[in-house]
This record gives sequence, structure tokens and C-alpha cells, in this order.
Amino acid sequence: MATITAPTPRGLPAVLRNRAVAKLALLVLAAAILVPLANARWASGSWPAALTVDVSEPLTTASTWIIDNRDSHPLFLYFFGHISNAVVVCVRAVYLVLLAAGWAGVTAAAALVAWRVTGLRLAAGTGVAFLACGFLGMWIPTMQTLALMVVAVLASVVVGALLGLASGLSDRMDRALRPVLDTMQVLPAYAYLLPVVLVFGMGVPAAVLATVVYAAPPMARLTALGLRGADKEVLEAVESLGATARQRLLTARIPLARKELLLGLNQTIMMALSMAVIASVIGAGGLGDRVYQALASVDVGAALTAGIPIVLLAVVLDRVTGAAGERLGDEPQPNGRARWVYALTGAVAVAVAGRLAGRLDWPDTWTLNFAGPVNRAVDWMTDHLYSGVPVIGGTADWAAHFTTWILDPLRDGLQWLPWWSVLLIVATLAWLIGTWRTALTAVLAMAAIGVLGVWQPSLDTLSQVLAAVAVTLVLGFATGVAAARSDRVERLLRPVLDVFQTMPQFVYLIPVVALFGVGRAPAAAAAVVYALPAVVRITTQGLRQVDPAAMESARSLGATPAQQLRQVQLPLARRALLLAVNQGVVLVLAVVIIGGLVGGGALGYEVVFGLAQGDLATGLVAGAAIVCLGLMLDRVTQPTERRAKKGA
Amino acid sequence: MRLRTTAVVAAVSSLALLTGCGAADMTKQTSPFANAQGARTVTLSVQSWVGAQANVAVAQYLLEHELGYRVDTVQIDEVPAWDALSQGRVDAIMEDWGHPEEEQRYIKDKKTIVNGGDLGVTGHIGWFVPTYFAKEHPDVTDWKNLNKYADRMRTAESGGKGQLMDGSPSYVTNDKALVKNLGLDYQVVFAGSEAAQITQIKQFAKEKKPFLTYWYEPQWLFKKVPMTEVKLPAYKEGCDADPEKVACAYPHTPLQKYLNADFARNGGDAAALLKKFKWTTEDQNEVSLMIADQKLTPEEAAKKWVDSHESTWKAWLS
Amino acid sequence: MTTTTQNTTPETRKPPTAPVFSVEGLWKVFGPKAHRVPADPELTALAPAELRSRTGCTAAVRDVSFDVRKGEVFVVMGLSGSGKSTLVRCLTRLIEPTAGTIAIDGEDVRAMDKSRLRELRRHRAAMVFQHFGLLPHRTVLDNVAYGLEIQGVGKAERRQRAAEVVAKVGLEGMEHRRPGQLSGGQRQRVGLARALAVDPEVLLFDEPFSALDPLIRRDMQEEVVRLHREEGRTMVFITHDLNEALKLGDRIALMRDGAVVQLGTPEEIVGSPADDYVREFVRDVPREQVMTVRTAMRAASAGEQGNGPAVAPDATVSEAIEAVARAKAPARVVDEGRCVGVVDSEALLEVVAGTAKETV
Repeated sequence: MATITAPTPRGLPAVLRNRAVAKLALLVLAAAILVPLANARWASGSWPAALTVDVSEPLTTASTWIIDNRDSHPLFLYFFGHISNAVVVCVRAVYLVLLAAGWAGVTAAAALVAWRVTGLRLAAGTGVAFLACGFLGMWIPTMQTLALMVVAVLASVVVGALLGLASGLSDRMDRALRPVLDTMQVLPAYAYLLPVVLVFGMGVPAAVLATVVYAAPPMARLTALGLRGADKEVLEAVESLGATARQRLLTARIPLARKELLLGLNQTIMMALSMAVIASVIGAGGLGDRVYQALASVDVGAALTAGIPIVLLAVVLDRVTGAAGERLGDEPQPNGRARWVYALTGAVAVAVAGRLAGRLDWPDTWTLNFAGPVNRAVDWMTDHLYSGVPVIGGTADWAAHFTTWILDPLRDGLQWLPWWSVLLIVATLAWLIGTWRTALTAVLAMAAIGVLGVWQPSLDTLSQVLAAVAVTLVLGFATGVAAARSDRVERLLRPVLDVFQTMPQFVYLIPVVALFGVGRAPAAAAAVVYALPAVVRITTQGLRQVDPAAMESARSLGATPAQQLRQVQLPLARRALLLAVNQGVVLVLAVVIIGGLVGGGALGYEVVFGLAQGDLATGLVAGAAIVCLGLMLDRVTQPTERRAKKGA
Repeated sequence: MRLRTTAVVAAVSSLALLTGCGAADMTKQTSPFANAQGARTVTLSVQSWVGAQANVAVAQYLLEHELGYRVDTVQIDEVPAWDALSQGRVDAIMEDWGHPEEEQRYIKDKKTIVNGGDLGVTGHIGWFVPTYFAKEHPDVTDWKNLNKYADRMRTAESGGKGQLMDGSPSYVTNDKALVKNLGLDYQVVFAGSEAAQITQIKQFAKEKKPFLTYWYEPQWLFKKVPMTEVKLPAYKEGCDADPEKVACAYPHTPLQKYLNADFARNGGDAAALLKKFKWTTEDQNEVSLMIADQKLTPEEAAKKWVDSHESTWKAWLS
Repeated sequence: MTTTTQNTTPETRKPPTAPVFSVEGLWKVFGPKAHRVPADPELTALAPAELRSRTGCTAAVRDVSFDVRKGEVFVVMGLSGSGKSTLVRCLTRLIEPTAGTIAIDGEDVRAMDKSRLRELRRHRAAMVFQHFGLLPHRTVLDNVAYGLEIQGVGKAERRQRAAEVVAKVGLEGMEHRRPGQLSGGQRQRVGLARALAVDPEVLLFDEPFSALDPLIRRDMQEEVVRLHREEGRTMVFITHDLNEALKLGDRIALMRDGAVVQLGTPEEIVGSPADDYVREFVRDVPREQVMTVRTAMRAASAGEQGNGPAVAPDATVSEAIEAVARAKAPARVVDEGRCVGVVDSEALLEVVAGTAKETV
């Protein structure tokens, strides 16, 4: 019979310390045996050629076969063809409905729905946002993006909810799905594009499917979380009244999870929008395509004209679904159903009126062209800020310094390190922070990159990620600390953070090119801007949630604000700070990859190249390397407590 | 239980009805945004460079204002555009720089794409240095002397070597092989997009810095930043056959238009216009310059050109 | 160990009838291979800590036996971790027992199949929970009607019946609020109403009032007393509060480490604790409010037969003190017009001081 000894809490720190030392000792031992062996066998700074597998040959064959057989092979005719067809039919149906409703009808419907779901203020905001899309001359692209979004979000929600249901109700499914979903969550959007393009070719079906694959995981995760997190006593009460399994699910478990379900819907919408924009690279059309086109001609004004509707859509959708979640549990308003009827009737009436008045299309004369002034402003900026600014130097000088003094040494250093030492570092970090499992995953992911033969570009990408993360964390922690200490700073920051966080990744690329030119520096800058809001927010929240009693006792002992911060707040907010690091890394990676479009080079460039040249082998290999890199970075920065908490 | 079965049967049968029973050929599915509300729609592929935007802008303007079509434009890179064209998700490519492999596959084998004739513009890719620098150092225009200037062309991105700036990954390029095979002390730096490349070139020009860049004609940027081509070993038929061993210049390519085969047959006036569309390098540059440098919208630029070149486009409509 | 000891004192409040619940040798063991524990005499003899270190198992309920009689309030009392909540969940198999038998009206609960068990939960035993277990997305009325909805009762009927119950627990006018808008006491009234709405044979209470403020708790206790008086429904009541147990219970089972250490009327528990643990437990109880004059009285001498105030035999000692103090003379204990004994101030003081001999 086994004896189980419970660890005493008092002994824990000592045990931990011992454990860390033990881990290190074990690693040193393993390294002492393996490294000389590996070094003798495959002595090379970079990943040894003997250990790579050339996959581009079979991948090229596969992609050629697919293109040649797409119109004849039964697999495509009877399976993928139907999927693709269904997507086209659905998107088209939604698009036609939106066009038939006319701009007035769509605006009215959106505003009225917002009114019913949330309240008057958001309804007004929604109306204004839609009208603004029209005034910017972006009505048709907005409707195209909206049509695509509606279909993609519905599909994501259905797929995600079903997966979530399976994983919420069955422990075995949960064990199988959770690591997959967790991993999908950290992958950059770009990695999803290639496989879909390979099968479906460029166009809307591929865009919708890539969006679904990208946006369904949060729905699935949150559904499962909601089902599992339901109040045990409520479920027991339901059980005690003799409910069948089905009654329990429909009347208790699902309604109890509705907050998580709505949050899942919210996240799915935001991710779908972000992806629908990125998917313009594979022919999604709509607003994203306008941004992409404008980006090609360095037309910052035009890019903004198309980018603003995206941001407006994002903010409106985020606020409405978010507010719906917050209003759960309030007392239902009297005659709520009647008001819904009023709202819908109103929308239909406006649409019909618009139709009768012959004003379905947005009138051309009502557009507001502000691309000109914006471009003049940008020109002024590039003229005056780009270089030669006295004392502080221009943005181009900063970019050059950043490249020469940070990015280059980092990249060269990483590439100079012998391959086995990179693996060793990864293993050490992951093991110290996590468990041997996370360490193993991280090392295997890193090794896979080598085997795929993209060791050098991956380390290049990695160096950009590390540099951008470092900048993000410095700025983010500083801002977070400031916001946590002053309510006014936080109030000022909040709307800015909100907007920045809802903005699709693509939009960040335009201004950075204007300011920092071309290369790895602008890619890193865009990544910093994208990741900063999340880091600031998590830091602020973490610091603010520090036990007030601990703060009070520190104050009562006469600690200065700096002491309070250093000795109480930061140690107590440790977990939040670690989470901020993790999030920062994941977000930075996503944008560094997209930075391939502005000269970031490395893996991002290879993905862009793969898409652009139809050379899917290169793209897929780079995509796989991105996946591995993302996996490795996530595992290396993921403290075990977080996993444990999620497992509850 | 029976309820569930019924629901499944209903769902499956409605899906079957919706998608049409039997085979579904996704290579015959058009864009969901095409031909909405009874409007005749033409979908044009826009490539990322401005010259291509100029072609499309003028074609779009004429299709919309002279023939009453609705025009959708989609930005797709060159090779994928062939695939999209073959599937009918795009009706026409207005400017193609030569893709023998795709021509073989789609025009000769599958017959889903047809050639739409010459665009009237001849394209040429090469290496360029700014003219202000070439005037100071005339010998830079011979590739043999490039190593002499490698130091001058250094940037933060290229490290210890000279920088040869390349543009969008979608462009045809042999530059990495060229640098290696010609033994040049240069590093190829990819700007990632033409936009990025132009921004960079303009910044260099403003400071009168020397630079070496991959570039092509026709290009409006020559009007803003005069550049001189560096002579590479002369192009001979087939010298670029093996991408690993290339050591010669890029060819001169008469640019082509390509149409989806179905569209070419049934596209009516629109197809006829696009087949006849043919203009000169100067025309294209004029429109490009308006778009890219004066920041006119493509539509405004096209309108300006159309208003002043009636004789040219009238011929396309007849 | 058997705790189904018949009361030795004459039971005056309730005549013994057939038990509603009959529990015999019940075990609930958590841990790996739990089933071997009740079967192995060597293991059953172990103390909890030892059992845990030997097998990794915890016995939440250890060999418990008792009957719940029709119409009585049966209280299971114990500190947290004593297994009382597990015990009550075993009764309707919300937690599956490891060994032993449970019968409801003579029917073996452990042998029931799924649908029969559902029937039991739907119609025969309803439970009230410590943290209420209400559905936050439903109104008060729909929460109360929930049990009926599960049984498949039509909407109009279940709402009407729910409305009646809502009125009975004093929540009129709040039918359309959500649980989140109610105070703790009101929420528990909803929980109570939900259990009552299905008109069960037995009500099971799992520490229903321990999350409430003291004043509200007293209100709710009185509410339960009132309901019991009006309807005479059988109740099984779990609590960790001794005063609550003494106040509500007709009989109390006192649990420690999963086992019942004493089972008896409040008076028996307070008056003659089975062991030191129970004695320690009831030490601070105001005995005069629990003990009846029956235990304090002595036989009446001839002279006392006709004099002094009269008290009933199940009157509490504190009531007798009041009577004695007012009359300044010993009180007669009168049962059905017949004087069965006398209590004087010394006897009463001995009860209060705890020096009276343990009589029961």
C-alpha cells in the first residue's frame, strides 16, 4: 500500500528551491553527456544539415497535384466543393440581404438592435459608426466585410459551441481538445492562411474557412469553461429535483454558462474581424482588401479611410456584445418582447422607405474624402520627424539605431550560438518556469524548426520577437505602474487601450512604414504598438488587485510609494506580470510575422513569399516553423500555476 | 430520438438542396460579391504595384462610366491571381510579366484562361542606382565595379555588406543567385512590399544617399527619382533557365493581359473592351504618377486621363 | 455500533410509526478502490488518519444506521467535516454510497434504476441547499416552478402552484425578481419554496441557514417550525449549529468523523451525553431551556399533591423556574389532570448548574 505524504506548507519554499536546483543539476548532467556527443557528431553553429528533412519536394508535389485535380478529383467535387459552395451561397445571401436593406435599413437595424441589447447611448454610437462608414465612401466594402463576418462568426460559434459542449461534458474529450485549443489560441493568424489556400484556392471560401479555424477556438474554450465552471450546488439542486441529463443541460448548464458563452461570442467576433481583414491577402475582399491595396501604394490616407470602418465595426461589435454580457441577470424590462417588435418593425420600415425613395446605394455626393489632408499630415511627419530632428534624432535614426544596436547583435548572437545550446537554453527556461512536460514541448518545437530546415530565419524572427517584447515590457510595465497608481492616468488611458486592442493587426503596419521606413525595426515597432495595450491592461489590473490589506499594512509601517511598489505590489502581482509577459510574447509574434509585409524578413517574409508566389511549400514550411516558434515561446513563458488554474 | 433523426434528415437534405446535389466544382464558383442586384459585375485583379493599379483604374472607369458595369477589384499577387482567374473568381488580369509555368497549365492544359493580347507596355527588370550618384561615379553602372562601392551602399539592415534592395516577394527575382554567382559583396534586403521599397528609395533620394535597388520599367518613380540602370551580363535566351545558376540580366517582356476563358466568351462589351485595352508606357506612367505621387484616388486619376485622351480609349470601345 | 436505540423514556410527542427512511450500516468512502474499505474488518477498525495513510481513502460516512420516522424532524448534527452533508446526499444517491442499505418506505433506494431514482427525487424527497442552488437566470416564480417543470407539468398549472407556494413562504410580490436581487434570507425562502412546490414526502435540509445572518436565521428557523406544525411533513435537517439542532429536532444524530456518536432527543443529548465528546459539545447549552421538568421532578409527597402551580411534564425547566419563582413554592407536574411529580427550586437549580444526575 502506498503511503502518501502531504507536503507541509511551511516546507514549501525550501522544497521549491531544492526543486529548481535539482532541475538545473539534472539539466547540467544531461547536457554534459549529450552536448559533447552532439557536438562531435554534428559540429556546426547552425542546425546541422544532417538533421534536416527536406519537405519542400513532397509539399510542392502535393500542391501541384491539388491544383491539377481541383476540378476533377471526387474529393474536391463531392466534399470540398460543397463546403466552398455553401460558403459562397451563404455569404452571397447575406450580402444580398444587406444590399437590399440599403444603407438606411442596415444602419437603422444595427442601431435598433444595439438599443434593445444595450441602451440608447450605444445605439446612437452604432448608428453614427455605420453612417461614418458611408461617409468615408466605404459602404460597399463594409457590407462585403460584414457579410463575410456574419457567415464566419455564425459558423465559428456553431463549431466552437459544439466542440465546447463535447469538451465541457466529456472529460476524455476535454483532455484531448484542451491542449489543441490552448495551442491554437497562441498561433499567429498568418499561420492559418496557407493550408486553407492550398485546398480552396484564393477567394472568399478560403477566407471564411481560415477565419472560422481562427475564431472558433475561443468559443470552444469558453463554452467548455462555462459548462465546467457552473456552480456545483446549483447542478446538485437540479439533480436533486430529478432532472434528466438533457433537462440538466438545457435548463441549467447552458443557461448557467451564458456569461462565458457571450464572452466567447465577443472574442469570436473580434478574432473573426481581425482575421477577415488579414484574409484579404488570400482574396477576402472588402475593407481588408482596401487597406491592403492602399498599403501597396504607401497611401496612408486611403489606408486610414478603409481602416477606420474596421475599427468602428470592431468597437461597435465589441461594445454591444460586451454590454449584453454585463446586463445579464438584470431584471428583465417590462414588455421587452414588444419593444423588440417595435425595433424590428422600425428597421423594416426604414429599409422599405429607403427602397421606395430609391436610395439603396450610398449617395456618391455624400462622401467625405479626407485622404488628402491625412497624407499631407503624413508627409509633414515624414519630412520633419523622419530624420534630422535636432537632439533626439529622427524616427529613421531611431530605427537605424534600434537595428544596429539591438536587432543585429541579438540576431547574430542567436545565430552564432551552437544549435544545441539554443535547445538547452529553451529547456532550462521552460523547465524552471513550468514542468518537464512544457520543457519537452518547447524543446521539441524548437528542434522541429531545425528539422524543417528553417533554423536561421526562425532565429532571425526570434530575435525580432525578443527585442520587441523587451521594449513592450519596459513601456508596458512603466505605463501599467503609472496607471495603477493614478486614477486619472487610468481614465485617460482606458479608451485609448480599448481602441488599440480592438484594432486589427493589419492597421498598425501603415503608420510605422511612414515613420520608420522599411526593415525589421518597423515590424518590431508595429508589434510593440499592438502588444502594448494588453500588457498595460494586465499589469494595471494585477497591481490594482493586490490585497488592500497588504498595502495598508505596508503604508502603516511607513513604506514610501517606491518601497510599496517594489516590496509589496510587484511581488504580489507576480502572476499577473507573468501573464503579461506571456500575452506580450504571443501578440508580438503575431505582428512580427505580418511584419514580413514591411520588410521584417525571416519567417514572415517566407510566408508572404509562399502566398505571393504560389510557392506553398516554402510558405507551409515557414508556417509550420511559426507554429513551432509560437508553441515554444508560449511554453517558455507560461508559468505552471496558470495551467493548474485552468485545469480546475 | 425520432425528432433528432428528423432534424438531421432535414438538415442534410436542405444542405443538399442548397448546394445542388452531386458534384460541386469549386473551380467554377464565382465571387459571392459578383453580379449582386442584377448589376453586371466585372472583377479585376489588381497587383500590388502602381502600374497595375493604373491599368485597372482606367479599365474600371471606362467599364463603369461608359458601359455601365459594376467593377470589383481584388488585390491578389501574380501567381495566385492565375489560380483565381482560372476559377473565375477574377475575370481579368491586366498586366502580367510572364509566367511560363502557369501559361502551360491554365492556357494549354486546362483551357480555363485565354490570352487577352498585349497591354502595349514593355516591361524590364534591372538593378538601378540613383542618377545623381551615377553622374558622380560613372563606372558604377557596370556590375564589375559594384564591389568598389559596396561600402557606400551599406545600411543597418545589410550589415557589413552593401545593400541590394529588393521589393515585394511576389516579384520575379533572381537577385540572390545573381549576387552569389557574380561574386558581389552585397546583401539582398527584401523590403517586403513595393510600398515599403518606394518609401525607402524616396528617403534615400531626399538625402542624396547612394543606393542600389532592384527596380523595373515602366515605373512612375523614375520621374521623381531619376535612376540609371546598372549593366549586368547581357541576357541571352535561356540564360535564366536554371534559377540557381543565373548570371545574366533580366529580359525585356512585352506585358500581357489574360482573361478567364468563360468571361472572354460571354463577357460581352466588357470582355471586348478589356481585349482591346492597349496603351503606352507614357500613358501608364501618367496615371501611376497621379495615383502614387499626387495621391489622387485611382478613380480621380483615371478620370483625368480619360478626359484628356479620348482618342485613345474611343478605339477600345468600338 | 448501533444507534437505533429505542427511546427508553415514554415518548409523548409522537407515537412511533413505520420509518420513512431506514438506513442500515451505511458507508461512504472516497478514494482509490473505496469498496474494499467497508468490507475489510481490519480497515474499518482504523482511525481516520491511519486509514488515509494506509489506503489513501477517506471515510466520510462510517457505518451509520438510523430510522427517520414519519412526521418527525430528524436532525443530523456535527462539525464541518463530520460527514453529515455526505450522509444526507447519500439518502437520494446524489452521492453514491459505498456500502450499506437505505430504504424509503421499505423500498431499497440503492437497488433503484435510473428512472425509479428520478421518480424518488421528483416526488418523494426534495432538498434545500446551504447556498440555495437557485438558477440565476430565472425569476423567483420560475425557480419555484422548476421542479414541476422537470416533472413535465404544464406552464399554467406549474405557475399557479408555484405562486401558492411563494405566498406560503412569504414572498408575495417578488415573483418576478431574479435571485440576484434578493437578500440571503429571501433566497433561501425561494429554495424552500422550490422544495415544497413538488409536495415531497420528505424535506431534506443541508445546513440551509448557516449562510444567513443570525436574526434572519432565527426567522427562518421559526418558519420551518411553523411549516412543520402546519403540514407535519417529515424533515431531515443537517446543521452544525447545536442550538438550531436543539430547537428544531425531535431527534438528533450527533456525528463525528463520519460516525454517529449519539442519537436521541435533545433532552437525552443534553441530559446524558454518550461520551466526553458530546459532553464537551453540550457544555454551554442553557440546559434549562432543553431539559424538561420530567427529568427534574421527584415523586410528590402527599402534602404536595394539591398545592402549588401546575406545569406539564414536557415543559422546559426554565418555564418551571418561572412558575416556581412566581409562586415561591414547588410546582406540580400535571399530566392529563393527574399529578405525576413535583419540582422544587433545588431540583431546578441542580439542572441549571449541571449537577443533576444524568437520568436519561
